[in-house]
Amino acid sequence: MQAHHSLGTSTDWIVMVVYFIAIMVFGSYFSKYNRTTTDFFFGGRRFSWWLIAMSIVATGVGSHSFIKYSAKGFEAGFSSSMTYMNDWFFVPFFIFGWLPIIVYTRIRSIPEYFEKRFSPTTRFLATILLLLYMIGYVGIGFLTMGKAMMPLLPPELTILGFHFEVTLMGLIIVIAVIVGVYITYGGQTAVIFTDLAQGFVLIFAGILVFVLGLDYVGGFGVFWDLLPTTWKLPLANFNTPPGFNFVGIFWEDGIAGSVGFLFMNMGLIMRFMATKNVDEGRKAATFNILFMLPLSAIVVGNAGWIAKAISIVNPSVIPPDTNPDAIFVVVANIISHPGVFGFIMAALTAALMSSVDTLLNATAAVYINDVHRPAKKWLTKKTLNFKEEDKQELSAARVATALFTVLGVLAVIPFSAFPTVYEAHGYFHSTLTPPLVVAIFLGVFWKKFTNASVIATFVVGVALMVLGMYYPRPLIQIFAQGTPYDAAHPYVYIGALYNLFVCVLVGVITTVTRDQQRKIVDSIKQNPNHKTIASGITLLSAAIFMVIVFNLFSLPVLLILSVIMLFLVVISSNYYSKYSEETHTEGLTVWGIAKAKEMFKGSKVNDRDGETIKINFRLKDAPEDLMYFSKNDMIKMSAEQGDLVYVSDARKYLGGLKSVHSIFGQPHNEDGIVYVTQEHIDQGQFVMDKILTAEKEM
Amino acid sequence: MPTFSQTWLPFIYLYGVGGIFFLSGMIIVKRAKAVNFERKRHRFWWNVTIFGFFYYMALHVFLIVAALYF
Repeated sequence: MQAHHSLGTSTDWIVMVVYFIAIMVFGSYFSKYNRTTTDFFFGGRRFSWWLIAMSIVATGVGSHSFIKYSAKGFEAGFSSSMTYMNDWFFVPFFIFGWLPIIVYTRIRSIPEYFEKRFSPTTRFLATILLLLYMIGYVGIGFLTMGKAMMPLLPPELTILGFHFEVTLMGLIIVIAVIVGVYITYGGQTAVIFTDLAQGFVLIFAGILVFVLGLDYVGGFGVFWDLLPTTWKLPLANFNTPPGFNFVGIFWEDGIAGSVGFLFMNMGLIMRFMATKNVDEGRKAATFNILFMLPLSAIVVGNAGWIAKAISIVNPSVIPPDTNPDAIFVVVANIISHPGVFGFIMAALTAALMSSVDTLLNATAAVYINDVHRPAKKWLTKKTLNFKEEDKQELSAARVATALFTVLGVLAVIPFSAFPTVYEAHGYFHSTLTPPLVVAIFLGVFWKKFTNASVIATFVVGVALMVLGMYYPRPLIQIFAQGTPYDAAHPYVYIGALYNLFVCVLVGVITTVTRDQQRKIVDSIKQNPNHKTIASGITLLSAAIFMVIVFNLFSLPVLLILSVIMLFLVVISSNYYSKYSEETHTEGLTVWGIAKAKEMFKGSKVNDRDGETIKINFRLKDAPEDLMYFSKNDMIKMSAEQGDLVYVSDARKYLGGLKSVHSIFGQPHNEDGIVYVTQEHIDQGQFVMDKILTAEKEM
Repeated sequence: MPTFSQTWLPFIYLYGVGGIFFLSGMIIVKRAKAVNFERKRHRFWWNVTIFGFFYYMALHVFLIVAALYF
């Protein structure tokens, strides 16, 4: 495989450095809008759909896409786009189910949902799995950034007389330091705005590569005619080759990946939490999937298609054995002039940085919510006031970000063993997402799914997945649908189907047998030695789990042990947890969204449609979080005292940056005037004499 | 000429199996009353979800036909 070094000129490097400084200054400007940890992590639930939609583009496109899809575009053609066009199947579940739940329950992290819906034990297990998932994602991001930068650097560097060999890991460590420093001082509002700018730049850079590439090969007609028919098909061959086939990628990306992305990607979920309401979240999600994803598929993959066309016409310019992960950089260098290449590379690397910093920010949010706060509550009795606590949490968040940056770099080591980033990412999705995906999905859409079932899904599901890794034949082979076995990386994609199947199987079996489990637990509780029996059951299930993880017996024995462990885990979970279907599902499943909305408001919901009005504000010295409108203005908004109101700066291009949520207070008689408190003005960053808009939320 | 497993089999599998997930989602959210058909916005979003499914299906048909015959 051919490696490339020292691509680009000094002009390109100058353009890259200037771009990076500009984007960091831009992001730093918006970090002033972080007043609390809520702002730091969630952006304060205030933004318009278009701002969030563009911000999502940079996260989705930037993470690894230019490198990985250009690589597959070069190897397989237009079918590199298929993972961008298979997300719609879960949209009904998302926009009508999960999105209202995450907004109305005010959860701050996925594990917090697990505690509300199930129990603190489940939250603990979910936190471990989620942090592993997110650190893995950060690792993939770093690996991609390293592979993107590598072709630009010489094989060796001399700094102050010292010679350094430029290695992938060395480069990744340097990148990690830069990313860590930026995110630590930025926060979510900075990330949202940096991503917004980069969303536009990325789309522009990707289209620029396509236009310049088409021009290089002689126009679209020549390009189209050069490619073989199989390269123009939008979906890959059904089940071969093992490194890129439709059926495996459908289950790995279309099912596990789509649910994982929409339901448990904290980076994305935090974006939706930053939208001003559920309807704006729906707009952002559907606009992104319907229009931005197909466009993104072209933007991220076209360099590979252009490279294929060039390699057919002129194999000496791009030899067919070029390293696929370097193809984007190689093509961009060939088709563009000095300076333009620097701009394209700056857009790419800055976007990769955006994705990684979004993930690091989200990982730190999970750490604060699900490790720091519960641990602090458990370890100390000292009560701090809101400001002291917030200051302490911001510091903890910054330390956590630095720690997860280091762990992300370490995660690169196993991923770098795969031939391309695409395969590494595919394997990562197949193995790390299924237990959480199944648990969230069944938890949200199946009211009968119990606490014991979700714990069994996490523990026994993971054990069966480990067995699948040890014994891909016959366990995964049964589900392979003709996908060939590759000894080096067995069933990278279709492994997702096996993993999803075993997790769903465990979840369903343990849910439908819940009455029988309760009877057994009741009879154990009647025994005078019930505490000893329960401890014994827990220890035995832990011992069996370790036996499976270390593969100490033959497959048939391990499968029998898994069944025994399943029984023990559900009995133990039922014994220790106090789970009630009635209290643990209220407003937390798709079956109780109306209730969730009512709980969010704290009183009966007012769903009458009203107008959005324009108003001036005046200061009122009041202690409560209330805003006072005129009677007529409230009639226009169909609002009543006690309803929720959203007030924003009327300049639409601000996208809700200067806005605040509050409650309607006692009406007055001055039309066009709203009385607000100093806290509202500070929170909303309202400017005197600037018009505001107001609308009733519910 | 590409084989069936390179052209229409992945398409049928994508919208067949994917369609089962999509339809299940629509049925669940409807039965759970997560969609309130009395509200104009909810009716709008319901129609958007149905449109999206056929929009992607049409897009894939177009791309396969273009690859095979143009």
